[in-house]
Amino acid sequence: MDQSHIRNFSIIAHIDHGKSTLADRFIQLCGGLTEREMSSQVLDSMDIERERGITIKAQSVTLHFQAKDDEIYQLNFIDTPGHVDFSYEVSRSLAACDGALLVVDAAQGVEAQSVANCYTAIELGLEVVPVLNKIDLPSAEPKRVMAEIENVIGIPADEALKISAKTGVGVEDVLNQLVEVVPPPQGDENAPLQALIIDSWFDSYLGVVSLVRIVNGSIRKKQKIIVMSTGKSFLAEAVGIFTPKRTEQDVLHTGEVGFIVAGIKDIFGAPVGDTITAADNPAAEALPGFQQVQPRVFAGLYPVSSDDYESLREALDKLHLNDAALHFEPETSQALGFGFRCGFLGMLHMEIVQERLEREYHVDLITTAPTVIYEVETNGNEIIMVDNPAKLPDAGAIKEIREPIIQANILVPQDYLGAIISLCIEKRGVQKDMQYLGSQVALSYELPLSEVVLDFFDRLKSASRGFASFDYEFKRFQPAALVKLDLLINGEKVDALSIIVHRDKSQSRGRELVEKMKELIPRQMFEVAIQAAIGSKIIARSTVKAMRKNVTAKCYGGDITRKKKLLEKQKAGKKRMKQVGKIDIPQDAFLAVLQVGKD
Amino acid sequence: MHPAAIPLGLYIHIPWCIKKCPYCDFNSHSAAGELPEQRYVDALLQDLQQDLQRFQETRSIGHIFIGGGTPSLFSPEALARLLTGVRRQLPWQEQVEITLEANPGTFESRRFAEYRAVGINRLSIGIQSFDDRHLRRLGRIHCASEAIRAVQIAHTAGFENINLDLMFGLPGASTGDSQDDIETAIALQPTHISLYQLTLEPNTYFHKYPPALPDDEQTYLEQRHCQHLLAEKGFRQYEISAYGLRQRQCRHNLNYWQFGDYLGIGAGAHGKITRSLPDNIIRTWKIRHPGHYLENTGNPRVGGSQTITRAELPLEFMMNSLRLHAGFSMDSYIARTGLGPSTLEPALSKCLQQGLLENRGRHYRCSTKGRDFLDQVLAEFVA
Repeated sequence: MDQSHIRNFSIIAHIDHGKSTLADRFIQLCGGLTEREMSSQVLDSMDIERERGITIKAQSVTLHFQAKDDEIYQLNFIDTPGHVDFSYEVSRSLAACDGALLVVDAAQGVEAQSVANCYTAIELGLEVVPVLNKIDLPSAEPKRVMAEIENVIGIPADEALKISAKTGVGVEDVLNQLVEVVPPPQGDENAPLQALIIDSWFDSYLGVVSLVRIVNGSIRKKQKIIVMSTGKSFLAEAVGIFTPKRTEQDVLHTGEVGFIVAGIKDIFGAPVGDTITAADNPAAEALPGFQQVQPRVFAGLYPVSSDDYESLREALDKLHLNDAALHFEPETSQALGFGFRCGFLGMLHMEIVQERLEREYHVDLITTAPTVIYEVETNGNEIIMVDNPAKLPDAGAIKEIREPIIQANILVPQDYLGAIISLCIEKRGVQKDMQYLGSQVALSYELPLSEVVLDFFDRLKSASRGFASFDYEFKRFQPAALVKLDLLINGEKVDALSIIVHRDKSQSRGRELVEKMKELIPRQMFEVAIQAAIGSKIIARSTVKAMRKNVTAKCYGGDITRKKKLLEKQKAGKKRMKQVGKIDIPQDAFLAVLQVGKD
Repeated sequence: MHPAAIPLGLYIHIPWCIKKCPYCDFNSHSAAGELPEQRYVDALLQDLQQDLQRFQETRSIGHIFIGGGTPSLFSPEALARLLTGVRRQLPWQEQVEITLEANPGTFESRRFAEYRAVGINRLSIGIQSFDDRHLRRLGRIHCASEAIRAVQIAHTAGFENINLDLMFGLPGASTGDSQDDIETAIALQPTHISLYQLTLEPNTYFHKYPPALPDDEQTYLEQRHCQHLLAEKGFRQYEISAYGLRQRQCRHNLNYWQFGDYLGIGAGAHGKITRSLPDNIIRTWKIRHPGHYLENTGNPRVGGSQTITRAELPLEFMMNSLRLHAGFSMDSYIARTGLGPSTLEPALSKCLQQGLLENRGRHYRCSTKGRDFLDQVLAEFVA
């Protein structure tokens, strides 16, 4: 297809503002799938995505749309994730587009994250097309929301289309406006091939599949290609587009978005952000890649059974292929044995990785309490980065601990302003700015990241009945009165249970933590003492009383099979626990810290 | 040892009750209208005949246990016909112990003398508690005074072997309740007492709507006190929940716990038969629902059967033998399973080392601690 008839675009929308429904309407309108094939929301292909109603990974779909001018246009829609943890993925998808639809719920108004994503799009030079969705709702207030778009984001909105993805009203107009407003790609068809890898994933039949945008030149089936960062060459066994079904083609032209399968078996063979070029006529330079993303939250992942260590490594390797934000390196714990210290974008990212490992790769996991990374200056004036509380040097050797500070940009309806400010203060926040924008207030706070990662998002939502939204960016490391809180079980320190907390909160955290552990550790044949300590000082203590007995009262020759099954189940349950010393600790106890500090 | 030397018992299941109790997970069904006594006795006898043919069984039996349900809902005439029929099919040893489970209601106790007359020589009475409040909560249809009266009638009827079933750890129980029950029970001069802790079993009303139970500490102390009271009066504990005067242990139950063999006839009855060692030890069970069991005239009433694998045998043996205070000898393990001592390792050594088991020569049993944590011990023997 000629470039002048190609449009590459994304949709920026907050969760629940109707992106997936709108995308489905597009596919339906352009005949990408038959009625029967339209299972609801076809783009969210991972089970987790569909269950949680969120998009995690970029995907694309190529649509052929007959516009008002009767010409056929190729529309390449690149899907983007919608959660604050995944803003990095959003910028990656946007980098492959020339325009973006900003979809705003006409009843709820603009949310902070859409604001942040819009700015990214504008920075990347994309044309942003605002659309008001859910116009069919009785509570829709298009006037107010249009004003909000202009006030908060600063783009004109008086031309914004008013649509309902649910009923289909105005959907065709959106595509027509896209064709008019979004510029076509400006590549050079005759230049050497440069294809930007937007995403790569592992398919057990095909090997590595890469989603690419052809920036310059073109790629043919059976062409020899080179991955520019590694210099390795491969044969492009298949190229094609998603309609959304994977459809093979002979060639992908300049400006098009599609897939390449090149028999790459090594999962690091096609890194996201890399450039693919032709072997016989290579491009001189790679395309500017993506900004390397920094993980914010760290946790240890350990296999419940040490036999699974290798499969865990393999699974992490595979996940890392299309999740550049996932970092991991081997570590050992006295309590848990061999495992990996993993870095995540946020808590949701961590939960999703955990879930995918257990569900798709069948690895039984123990996850330790998540932590942020700290900058520690020792008395020897050495600066070390600590992403594992157990690795924090002794208090005596530390000159200063510095914690990461973020700037949170929060949008909240006025009614909930008080509650949100209280929350920010509780989380050790410092107000930087506050602006009234119509019915919403834009708040800017500096907050310690450690206070944000655990439950800030959920608390924000519940304090505002779901109306507040936020986005954050890293600012700096800043000295703070932080201490390491250790947990001792029957007098022995369990390294995997240590956390770093603010001194002011250490007493209450310690008490809550031992109480929570008391609930989580099952009663054993002997008494189990749980203590929280800072250095050598015990600050809280609790006891799991010994079980008095564990014996089946009644057992006759009769039906022994059920009792037998019960014993077998018990044994299997025990296998899922981790033995630390003589004590069986269930998996979730290692995450107990997540369950304290909440009201 | 040749399988023929393994003792054989007979279990007969009568699956009906007036009303199902909320804690009961046995195969019992509410009796609606008149019980099909005649048809059921016919079915039981046919069931036995089929088992004997199937296993080509030639051993004589030393004990019979008629359990339920509430077998005392059956008339003495029906039970007489049943026992006569059994006797015709099987060789009996001298002094066969024949137990009947009975409810202590007025209706049943009137029949005790006749039961004794038709050959039943051991009565197991389901008292559960001598406290009307507890009886009501347990859904029992008798009251305390009826229970006391029933035991007296049993003595008068000539039963020299009487067991009373009692429960402790009951909903809303206060300290001392179970000791009171034990004292009342002992005063009635039974020869055997079965004292169970109430447990909320799956598929029971109590499991679905759990009542508030006293805390572990209280229940444990109650149990200890009861054990002392019983020991003082000569009731020696020989199993987790069983206490008997000298020579009055229940031979039928003892056989289960010693991993002996037994035929099981009646709806849902389980049996265990050793054809050869160690690869041919079979568990059998009959069709569970009484209606289906009855309808299946002419056909075997087998619900299913399973050969115990070598891997399962250590656990199966231990689940039974370690319940006994006496434990087991390595020789009996070899004789009953056909397996060597090494098949018990490393679990056996581990438990000895942890002080949960103790041994004198080739004789093994639970330590006091091991008895309290028997399920933990057994978990070690899970294949």
